[in-house]
Amino acid sequence: MDTLTRSHKAQKLIERLPKKLNRQFVASLVGCVHCGMCTNSCHYVLANPDDPTYAPAYKADQIRKLFKRHVDWTGRYLPWWVKAGTVKSDEDLEQLKDTVFGKCTNCRRCSLNCPMGVDYASFNRMARGLLVSVGVMPEGVAAVSKDQWEIGNQMGVLKEDYLDTLEWLSDELAEEFGDEAARIPVDVKDAEVVYAINPREIKYDPRSISDAARIFYQAGENWTMPSEGWDMTNFGLFSGDDELGGTVAKRLYSKVKELRGKKLVISECGHGYRSTRCEGQNWAALGEVGFEMESAVVTMLRYIDQGRIKVDKNANKKPMTFHDSCNFARSCGMTEEPRELLSAVCTEFREMYPNRAENYCCTGGGGAMSMSEYTPRRLKSAKIKADQIRTTGAKMVVTTCHNCVDALNDLIKHYKLDCEVTQLVNLVANALVPTRAAVSVTKVEKPALPLEGYTILVADDEPDITAFFSTALSDQGAQVHCISSADQVLETVRREKPDLVTLDLSMPGRSVGEVFEALRRDPELAKTRVCVITGKPELRSLIYERPVPPPDGFLDKPVSEEKLIFNVRKILEISEKQQ
Amino acid sequence: MSVVLHFAQHTLQEVALFVMAVVYLLRLRWLLSFKPGRDRQRPTGGGEGRSGGLYSLGTIAMPWVMESTRTNPFFYAQFVVFHLAATAAILLSFVIPYAPGLLEVRPVTGLFQLFIGMGFLVGCLRLVRRVTQRTMRALSSPDDYFSLILLTVWLASAFLAAPNDPAGGEGALLAFFFLTAFFLLYVPFSKISHYLYYPFTRYYLGRTLGHRGVFPPRRGPSVSSSI
Repeated sequence: MDTLTRSHKAQKLIERLPKKLNRQFVASLVGCVHCGMCTNSCHYVLANPDDPTYAPAYKADQIRKLFKRHVDWTGRYLPWWVKAGTVKSDEDLEQLKDTVFGKCTNCRRCSLNCPMGVDYASFNRMARGLLVSVGVMPEGVAAVSKDQWEIGNQMGVLKEDYLDTLEWLSDELAEEFGDEAARIPVDVKDAEVVYAINPREIKYDPRSISDAARIFYQAGENWTMPSEGWDMTNFGLFSGDDELGGTVAKRLYSKVKELRGKKLVISECGHGYRSTRCEGQNWAALGEVGFEMESAVVTMLRYIDQGRIKVDKNANKKPMTFHDSCNFARSCGMTEEPRELLSAVCTEFREMYPNRAENYCCTGGGGAMSMSEYTPRRLKSAKIKADQIRTTGAKMVVTTCHNCVDALNDLIKHYKLDCEVTQLVNLVANALVPTRAAVSVTKVEKPALPLEGYTILVADDEPDITAFFSTALSDQGAQVHCISSADQVLETVRREKPDLVTLDLSMPGRSVGEVFEALRRDPELAKTRVCVITGKPELRSLIYERPVPPPDGFLDKPVSEEKLIFNVRKILEISEKQQ
Repeated sequence: MSVVLHFAQHTLQEVALFVMAVVYLLRLRWLLSFKPGRDRQRPTGGGEGRSGGLYSLGTIAMPWVMESTRTNPFFYAQFVVFHLAATAAILLSFVIPYAPGLLEVRPVTGLFQLFIGMGFLVGCLRLVRRVTQRTMRALSSPDDYFSLILLTVWLASAFLAAPNDPAGGEGALLAFFFLTAFFLLYVPFSKISHYLYYPFTRYYLGRTLGHRGVFPPRRGPSVSSSI
């Protein structure tokens, strides 16, 4: 073979290919007959019917051709006859990257529709792993993997921020229930339940943690959260890097063992559940872990079944539909439990079609939410999911996955659906009927003006938004200043010295990314808290890919008043404690 | 029967079959030389690898369980007819030399011709589909076209050879047996050998998804089985 004309990375990739193969992969690589039956199972194809390069079999062939050329028989001697091929340059690798990362979410829908049983999603992940091993991957994948390797969670949440958030949530829970026992227990040994979460919950959605805590408290559960190794997500699933996958899974398993926990409960997250429950032991080559693992969905359902919590479905009256997360449903068989739970906590459930293992991907799977370069493609393919949701007429989409929440929020905005997204934990908590007899659930009056004394700068060019934010924040006692151009941000921050800036990403004037970086680099302004609030989440990279500390919060528009205040209070409270 | 036809029906077929069997054994040995992936975790959803594997193998006869076959009943029917025709043609290559008496029963010959003739028509339809559809063209390799044309022509020759009447001219029989021999020699190197891998791909997919509680699909959960 012409190794001398091949780039170093391409050569390494070819050398590593045989080591990645197992019998399942090989059977799938030789088994395709190009019948085309998988074609219409892919949401990318349905959204791009005139582009054959999205067909699963075509995408699979971009990997298969390497296998045929370098491992299989016919392709080695008659490559043109079977369309065998190779990679020679770094450009070839970039092209392969575009296919395996940018045109497939590893949702596995084609695998389930292949008459031959070819599991394309599995060897697509293998191909991602090969590319990652030679350093070829989307920037977002590199950044998130780095955080998970180095900081221990995929959003780079520091231990003190994590513990601060739990502390702050605990304060609120203790206040709400008038009971110190309602606090979130951390590192308690011999607990029945060790609860592991997605770092997104700490960073952007702490309400899901306090909702889970409310449920555990009402159920009288002996539970705890670990102070370290608490991230149950695993970017190894998306990057195809088994080493990362195994390391991340082992961190969590070791922590549960250290705490002598009896059961690991995994919060609602499709890929987190699959990685922790179904794949982690395989990546880490671990045998029996010594404790049970279950999804929080099952835990909540069991509490209801056993009468440990009581729920009133009338608390959730909006018409709801359910989106099956690919990893949760199609790869882990969790199709019935969420529906049973949903039927217990809402009054009107409308099934979307197709559903369960046949449901379409939210389009944010496979790590797609971290690959901003493919956002236009993703949103175009999201039309299929948008149509599914629109047809139900539901006002709320329920899902069991944080990735899906973000992707669904994106497509709801993009396709202007009159709908919002929520998770089961929020609905169950909302439907809870307090049952703990020993605890008197006294509604403690909130401070009249919780944001009194704080100055907040609202930077947004939409007059409706500035008026809404300004009113909502002023009602809570904050002093609010509004600006509508990115050019005014630095000057106003310098002048008004706000405690927090809510920053829209698409404003007239300078690039908001540049403004944000300048703010962070200015020693006088660097500590100013920033909460990005945007209707264009695809612009996240403008902020997050800059070599400065990330913003303190991130919210997608539309944002409710409750969510806005909740997040602003969270950011300011953390800020206060750190000072 | 001429010497050439006798050679084509017997020695040539036996040698071709032997070569095919040897290549297949080597292919299987090669496939089995790769380590199988394994599931170390406890099964989920009351799932079990073996039952998932069996369910997966059975999907070939359950067109309603896969969206791709459920929503394309005509294509599924084509699949059934085409594969039955290929089976009938293979059977014919043994019946003619070893049990020619069977073909003296006219309904039997008629049945062979019916299946094989329908298979030929499906072959033509599939060829048209592969040539006219943009996605199919993008997917297809020379082997895909050649294998399909080879099978379709072979079915046509089987249709003509089915009456087994050398006295009326040996042309059809010679064409069928020479094509059969070529077919047997070519198959292990082509995509037609997919049936060798089929049990592996389907079983392994089913075993994986069975262990994860996806196969066979279930309705109505039990909390204890969902851990």
